[in-house]
Amino acid sequence: MDIQLKRGLLDVCVLAAIRHEDSYGYQIIKDMKPYVELSESTLYPILRRLESAECLTVYSVEHNGRLRKYYHITESGIHRLEEFRTDWQEIVSIHDFVMKGEGERE
Amino acid sequence: MNKREFLEQLQQYLSDLPQQDVEQSLQYYAEMIDDRIEDGMTEYEAVEQIGLPEDAADRIRVELPLPTLMRAKARSARRPKAWEVVLLVLGSPVWLPILLSLVIIILSLYIVVWSLLLSLYVVDFALAASCIAGLGLSVWTIVEHDLMHGLFLLGASLVCGGFAILLFLLSKVLAKAVCRGTVAAVRKCKKRIAGKGNVS
Repeated sequence: MDIQLKRGLLDVCVLAAIRHEDSYGYQIIKDMKPYVELSESTLYPILRRLESAECLTVYSVEHNGRLRKYYHITESGIHRLEEFRTDWQEIVSIHDFVMKGEGERE
Repeated sequence: MNKREFLEQLQQYLSDLPQQDVEQSLQYYAEMIDDRIEDGMTEYEAVEQIGLPEDAADRIRVELPLPTLMRAKARSARRPKAWEVVLLVLGSPVWLPILLSLVIIILSLYIVVWSLLLSLYVVDFALAASCIAGLGLSVWTIVEHDLMHGLFLLGASLVCGGFAILLFLLSKVLAKAVCRGTVAAVRKCKKRIAGKGNVS
């Protein structure tokens, strides 16, 4: 898939994964696994990016004698998810247009 | 590879980055490995699934903002040897004035180009002003004095007006070309600076 497009989509996926409940890195990866395969190395920059965009906040929780980082969605993160819904309509109509063009050629 | 080896290698690959970024990355990968182990994998399996530390480092690097990368590159650049520093300092009476004069020459050339353009615009303005004034004067001459002089004035001011329009178009094209040239030159300089080492 086109890298820029996928990048934007994965940002939204990660936000969706923490939308209802705060989550941590490995849990996010496991939750997304049935839908999209995401590696640790891919997730890390996404989390950093979302954090600096203030779409999520990070806090540490002690777990089995070590610290685990939890990610919490912010207002602007939720806003970003809602924006995605309207953006998606646009993407669907672009998809329709592309498919229509293909059908006519055959 | 076990967890400690993975983290050590990752730290090495990231050693030129700011301390805070390195620590954050190490914490993240340590947590990831620990979570996998807790999930029932062996330490080796967990590390294997994470992938190579080189790849992880590359991913971290790519996402960093350009200023951080530039600073990292400057830090990792080889330190100049002692004799190079001595030469640089001793030679400064020679290379500093040369460098300075080069910069000043380039700057003044640039100023000259824009002054030429400015003078074109000034001439253009003068032509336009004389066109308007001449039109007024010719009407006055026709009404108050004789027709012939008035018509001559009218023609002359129209010629001025025509030249003003042509000159305006010409100077606009030239100004645009200079702007484009400036942008291209600046971009080239930037590329030169950024592209010297490989940032990726």
